[in-house]
Amino acid sequence: MTTAQLSVEDMFVPGFDESSLPSDGSEPALLREKRAAAFAKYSELPMPTVRDEEWRRTDPEMFPFDEFTPAPALAPISVAPESGPWDNEFDVVVTVTDEGFHINDAANMLAEKKLVVQSLADAAVNYPEMLKRYMQGEARVKQPRKFTTLVDAFWNFGLFIYVPAKTIITRGVLIRYTHKTPGRVVIPYLVAVADELSELTIAEQYESPDLVELLALSAREFYAKQGAILRAASLQEWGGKTYHIGEDWVRAERDARVDWVSFLLGGQLSKMMVSCDVAAPNSNAYLSGLFFADKEQHIDQCSLQLHSSANTYSNLLYKGAVKDKGHSIYQGVIDAVPHAVKVDAYQMNNNLILNEGARADSLPGLEIDADDLKCSHGATCGNLDPNHLFYLRSRGLPEAEARQLLVMAFFEEVIARVPHEFMRERVRENVRHKVGVAV
Amino acid sequence: MSNTETMYKLETDSKLVQEYKYGFVTEVETDELPKGLNEDIIRAISAKKGEPDWMTEWRLKAFRRWQTMREPHWAKVDYPPVDYQDIRYYSAPKSAGTGGDGHGVDPELAKTFEKLGIPLNERDRLSGVAVDVVFDSVSVATTHREKLAKQGIVFCSMSEAIRTHGDLVRKYLGSVVPPGDNFYAALNSAVFSDGSFCFIPKGVRCPVDLSTYFRINAADSGQFERTLIVAEEGAYVSYIEGCTAPQRDNNQLHAAVVELIALDDAQIKYSTVQNWYAGDANGVGGIYNFVTKRGHCRGPRSRISWTQAEVGAAITWKYPSVILEGADSVGEFYSVAFTNKKMQADTGTKMIHIGPNTKSTIISKGISAEESVNSYRGMVQVLPTALNARNHTCCDSMLIGDKCFANTYPVIEVETSTAITEHEATTAKISEEQLFYVRSRGIDEESATSMIVNGFCKDVFKELPLEFSVEAIKLLELKLEHSVG
Repeated sequence: MTTAQLSVEDMFVPGFDESSLPSDGSEPALLREKRAAAFAKYSELPMPTVRDEEWRRTDPEMFPFDEFTPAPALAPISVAPESGPWDNEFDVVVTVTDEGFHINDAANMLAEKKLVVQSLADAAVNYPEMLKRYMQGEARVKQPRKFTTLVDAFWNFGLFIYVPAKTIITRGVLIRYTHKTPGRVVIPYLVAVADELSELTIAEQYESPDLVELLALSAREFYAKQGAILRAASLQEWGGKTYHIGEDWVRAERDARVDWVSFLLGGQLSKMMVSCDVAAPNSNAYLSGLFFADKEQHIDQCSLQLHSSANTYSNLLYKGAVKDKGHSIYQGVIDAVPHAVKVDAYQMNNNLILNEGARADSLPGLEIDADDLKCSHGATCGNLDPNHLFYLRSRGLPEAEARQLLVMAFFEEVIARVPHEFMRERVRENVRHKVGVAV
Repeated sequence: MSNTETMYKLETDSKLVQEYKYGFVTEVETDELPKGLNEDIIRAISAKKGEPDWMTEWRLKAFRRWQTMREPHWAKVDYPPVDYQDIRYYSAPKSAGTGGDGHGVDPELAKTFEKLGIPLNERDRLSGVAVDVVFDSVSVATTHREKLAKQGIVFCSMSEAIRTHGDLVRKYLGSVVPPGDNFYAALNSAVFSDGSFCFIPKGVRCPVDLSTYFRINAADSGQFERTLIVAEEGAYVSYIEGCTAPQRDNNQLHAAVVELIALDDAQIKYSTVQNWYAGDANGVGGIYNFVTKRGHCRGPRSRISWTQAEVGAAITWKYPSVILEGADSVGEFYSVAFTNKKMQADTGTKMIHIGPNTKSTIISKGISAEESVNSYRGMVQVLPTALNARNHTCCDSMLIGDKCFANTYPVIEVETSTAITEHEATTAKISEEQLFYVRSRGIDEESATSMIVNGFCKDVFKELPLEFSVEAIKLLELKLEHSVG
C-alpha cells in the first residue's frame, strides 16, 4: 500500500501528524534524523483495525486518542522531586513527572563512570555511536507496529542506560513515572544496554492517580551483550482511567541471560507486546508476566519468543487472574527459525477466572521450522480448585481468606522471579487488595 | 490378532510398497457438464439429479451468496489462485446405475473399487460394514440396504435422499453448516454432487458400521461431497469415510460439507482415513481438500466424536468441529495429520461449549517430514452459559527432517469461572534415545522410525474401527518409507 492511498485519518493517530513533531531545533541532529525516519515509517503504516488478527480482541478504537493531547517534551528539573520509598535500594533513581525528569546519582555511580544513565538528548551528544547502533537497533526483529513507530517519532521522554563491559551493577536503576495532568499522552522511550560480561538491574514503576485520564505509549529496547546478565522488572500501577500501549524488544547475545518481568495491575485498558530474541548460542531468556484484571479492566498481552540461533533457551510464564467484568487476553508465539536446532523453548499461560462475567482468552502458539529441538506450551483456564478450598476451610480458614491465600499461592511463582523483595511485597499487597476479603 | 501383528503381516505384502497405489485412472464413459460455474450449470446439476424445486432454489441461493464472498487466506497454506470457472462441476460414469444395491454396476467400476479394496457385492463385503460408494459426482452403490431398512435406518446417497426422504433432508440440511457459513461451504451448497445421508431413528443402535468411499476419477473435475448424518434420541451410529484419487499433474478441488446432528442421548462416531493424491515430490498435482465438517450435539447427553487420519491431499483446510449445545454433551476430536513431500495441512478443530456440564477432548498428532508444512489450528470457546464445562487439549508435533514446518495455533476463550480448560502442546524431533533403544534390538532405522511414529499416533489410532486402524497404520508406514534417512 502506498501513502497516496491512505487518507489522513488512516495515516495519523489523532494529534500526531507532521505539525506535532517536536520542532525544537536544539535537539541533536542524530535524534532529529531518527525521528524523521520513524515518522516516514509511521506515515506508511496503516492504522490497525479490529480486523487485524493481533487487534481482534482489543479494538484499537477503544483508545480515545481524540480526547487527548500530546504531552510536551520533558526537560531536566534541578530540584529533586519527592523521594519514593524504594529510592535507597537503588544506585540511581530517575524520577519522571509532568514537570520534567530528574536523575539522582546518590551512590556516585554516574560520577565514577561505572554506569551511564542519561536522557537521549544528552546521550546523543556524549554517546552518538551507541545511540546509532541501539536506538531502533537489532532487537527490533520485526517490522515495528504503527504505535511503536509513533513512539519512535514522537517520544517526549527518552532515557539511555548503559553498563560498560565487566561492570557489575548490583542495585541498579529505578525509574519512577508519576503522571498527574489529565488529558495527556505521555510517550516514554527507553534503551538499555548491558555490555559484555556486565550485570544490570532495572526497575520501573508507573503510577497515576485513580481518576486521571491519561494515555501512555511506550517502547523499550533491552540488549544483553555477550555474557551479560540483564534483569528488568516493571510494575504498572496506573490509575483506573489510564490507557497504555507498549512494546518491548529484548535481545540476548552469546551466553547472556535476560530476566524480564512485567507486573500489570493498573490501568483501564492495556495492550502490551514483548518480543525476545535469543540470538546466539547459549543465550537464555526468562519472560514472566503477572496480570490481574478486575472491575472493567481490559488487559491484552502478546509475546514472541524468537529463537534465531541454535542452542538457545527461553522460558515464558504468564499468570493472570480476572475478576468482576475484567477481560484478559494472552497471545504468545514461539518461533524457531530454520536451522535453529537444539532449542529448548517453553511457554506457559495460566488463568484464574474468579467469578462469572469475567473472561480470559488464551492463544498460545508455536511456529517451528527446525527439527532437532524441544518446544512446548501449556495453557489453563479455570477457577480455584474446590478441593484446595475445602482443604483450607477444613483447617478452619474462612472462605474469603482461603480464596485469597490460594490466589496468592497461584501468583507466587511469578512474583518470586523478581529480585527485589520490596517489589515482591508491593505486588503481593496489590493482589491481596484486588482479590478483596469480602468475596 | 492385535493391530501391531496385523501391521507386520501386511508389511510383508510387497505389493503395498508403492509410491501411491491408488493413483490409477479408470476408463469409463462419463456424462459430464461443461466446465465453469453459473446459474445454468447449477440448474443443470439439479435437473440431472431430478431434484425438487426447493432444492434447486436452495442451491441458487447459496450460489448467489457465494458470489459475494471472498476466498479465505488466513490459513498457513500457500497455493496458486484457483480458477473456479475452470472446474467441471458434474461428472458421472454413464453406466453408474445410480443408487443401486451393488448389482448391475459397470464391471469397470466394480473393478476399480475392488482394486481399492471396496467390495460392492454383498457376498464379498467386509463383514459388518455397509458401504456407499461415490465415484466423482454420483453415488454408484449402496450395500446392505434391506437389512438396515428393517430397523428404520435410512442409509443412501444424498441425491436419492433428496428424492425419497425430502422432508427429512429439508429439515436438517444446512442446519449445522448454513450455506453462507464460509466460502467453500457456500460453493459446496451450490454445486454439491453427492455424499451419504444417514438417518438413525429414535432408540436404534445401528448394527453395522456405515461407510462411504469417495473416489475422484475424471480429470479437471471437482468433487463436492455433502454428507448429513442424523441420530435421533438415543440412537448410535459409527460412520467411516475413505477417499482416494488418481495421480494427475493438475490440482483438483474437493470441497466437502459434512453435518452431524445428535439429538438427546444420541451418539455419532465419525472416522475418516483421507488419502487423496498428495502430488509428487516437487509439489506438482494433488488434491485441494477444503472441507467444512461440523457436528451439533443438540440434545442433552449426546456425543459426537471425530477421528481422522489425514495422510493425503496437497493442501488440507479442515476443522471438524462440535457445537456442544445440549447439557452434558460430549465432543471429541482425535487426529493424526501426516505431511511429507510439499504437502501443506492446516487442520484442527473447534469446540464450542454452550450447554452446562459439556466436555470436550482434543488429541492431535502432527507429523511433518521432508518439506511439508503441518499446522494445528484449534479453538475452544466456553460461553457464559456453559457452566462447569471441561476441556482437555493435547497437540503434539513430530518433525522428521530439517526442512519441514510444524505450527500450533490454539485459541482458548473462556467466559465462565466454573469451566476448566487445559491445553498442552509439544513439538520435538523423533527422540534419539527411543531410536537408539529400538535399533539396539537389531531393528533397522526405517522400521524403528515407523514403530516410534506409530506409537506416537497410538492414542488416535485406537479410536478408529479396527480395519481402518490397520489401514491407517499401513498408510503411514508407506508414506514414511522415503522420508527417513
